[in-house]
Amino acid sequence: MEQTIVELQNLSKIYQQGELEVKAVDNVSLTIKKGDFAALCGPSGSGKTSILNLIGGLDNPTSGDVFLDNIELSSLTNSDLAELRKNRIGFVFQAYNLIPVMTAYENAAFVLELQGIDKAQQHQQVMQTLKEVGLAGLEHRRPDEMSGGQQQRVAIARAIVTRPTIVLADEPTANVDSHTAEALLDLMQNLNQQQGITFLFSTHDQHVIDRAKRIIKMHDGKIAADDYRA
Amino acid sequence: MNLNTLAWRNLWRHKRRTLITASSIAFGVLLAVTFTGAGDYFYTRMIDAGANMGMGHITLAAPDFNRAPSSKKVLKDTDSLLAQVEQIPEVKDVMARIQGQAMFASAHKSIGGMFFGVDPEQENPESNLFIKAMIEGGMPKSASDKTIVLGVDLARKLKLTMGKKVVYTTTDINGDIVSAIARVGGLFQTGSNEIDSAVALLPIQSVQQVLGYQQNEVSVLAVILHDQRHSHQLRDRMQAMSQFSHIEVLNWQQTQPDLAGMIAVDKSSNYISQLLIALLVAAGILNTMLMSVLERKREFGVMMALGMSPRNLFLLVMLESFWLAVLGLIIGTIVTIPWYLFMSQTGIDLSAAYGDGFSFGGVLLDTVFKIRLFKESIIAILVGLFTLALCAGAYPAWRAGQTPPVESLKTI
Repeated sequence: MEQTIVELQNLSKIYQQGELEVKAVDNVSLTIKKGDFAALCGPSGSGKTSILNLIGGLDNPTSGDVFLDNIELSSLTNSDLAELRKNRIGFVFQAYNLIPVMTAYENAAFVLELQGIDKAQQHQQVMQTLKEVGLAGLEHRRPDEMSGGQQQRVAIARAIVTRPTIVLADEPTANVDSHTAEALLDLMQNLNQQQGITFLFSTHDQHVIDRAKRIIKMHDGKIAADDYRA
Repeated sequence: MNLNTLAWRNLWRHKRRTLITASSIAFGVLLAVTFTGAGDYFYTRMIDAGANMGMGHITLAAPDFNRAPSSKKVLKDTDSLLAQVEQIPEVKDVMARIQGQAMFASAHKSIGGMFFGVDPEQENPESNLFIKAMIEGGMPKSASDKTIVLGVDLARKLKLTMGKKVVYTTTDINGDIVSAIARVGGLFQTGSNEIDSAVALLPIQSVQQVLGYQQNEVSVLAVILHDQRHSHQLRDRMQAMSQFSHIEVLNWQQTQPDLAGMIAVDKSSNYISQLLIALLVAAGILNTMLMSVLERKREFGVMMALGMSPRNLFLLVMLESFWLAVLGLIIGTIVTIPWYLFMSQTGIDLSAAYGDGFSFGGVLLDTVFKIRLFKESIIAILVGLFTLALCAGAYPAWRAGQTPPVESLKTI
């Protein structure tokens, strides 16, 4: 039986916009299994990113529960959540969001540094990961010295270098051309297949949807469909 | 990369802004050194000049002499007291003096004033302002000389020149009126009209004879210290010593309350000026750090998403403030050292505005504007500005760690 790593129970998130209440997530229940390569898709405002934020402990639900590795997130303090993200979650963002004053190596090592891993171990893990994402030899480049695709590879390296429970990727191919998008998807698919890293995407991109093993369609904050590809 | 290195690199994202803010800290150092240095220099000059005009930094006198001076209040056994005071390490000089009021008369006129009976062998230009200010003649040759040294304006009013006779009339130890004759042996000009028109110096033994004092009896022992800042502490220590328990031990604040009051008022306004400078520097730092935090809001959101705790984020921004402060202080020190050397050695001559000298609290000061910093002032400036920079960075740092990551990530 596949291990459940994320479980959402009757999850809702309501945002207040002036006097208007917007239901970004409406009573969603969902489980993500270890090894999933799943895409949350749907139109803008359907609640994809909100769900990623709630799973990542970046936002608090209005009601319902989020469990990650059987830990209920609502019971955690901000510091505990930071600790959880540091050790169990990898994030990939649409705009790469690398730290501009750091090199590729330093960006990838950032979370290991936060974890307090010793330098030798850091070096080994970072160099290995940069090699896996195809950036061997570019470790001393700063973000402004790399293409968008290369930056997103660094972001992926940063997300997986700690071997997290899950990688949450928010529109990871939205800012790159289709050729680069395919290459990035090849990379993430390989990481999923060869290393068993679980990926959950939020996306509009058909390239991503085509590659996903599981497609969760969102509409108006609800899950409209949840299918595993045969 | 550790937080320290990250903070240092973050500082150089906007080189110009960092350098401008560091320069404002540096300018704060320069202003603080100038203001504090001027205070340290002028207050010391005023206090030393006041002490050298008669009563010393510390004064030993008969009980109640300071409140109501009188020839009847005599300090006895001064040789022994003098010997004991000389043993105290902080003491540079100690001189026996007789202080009193007198009427000075020439063939033309009589004018009231005050005299100091001094022992020429004990006195020296370092501890006696009048010797430094001598413009004609000199100090009495001996303690029993029959000469008098007059302020130049007093001599002019009495129409006296060198060698002329003066009759001085005062009250003796019994309260009886007594007179004596002396010849003008010297003239001094301090530049302060109130001093030059009212003060005369007489040989101490001559005065003792006139007042009916024994050889071992005077009005005061004027104690000059190596460093005036020890006067308060030393007075307290001496008051507690049994050998001084029967007499009054006073510091300059007690013997010259007008001067002490004026310095206190001046210090207060100086502190207010410095506080305003500090607030301006703090506002600059606050502005820079706040801008820096606000424009990196999204980056902070990413860092928190990656697992950085609010505490570490606070620490990161505080480290940026720390390095900014260090940079500002280094630039400030580099810029200030030549300025300080020039101002402490050469200074700025203000004689065009003030003439040869001006008096403050009855004390004459020269017109060259100089600065001098005590060690503790240097430490206070550096620690003060450093603390200020850290405090100014604290709010932006706190703010950086408080914004929920999801809000920060929404920032474009």
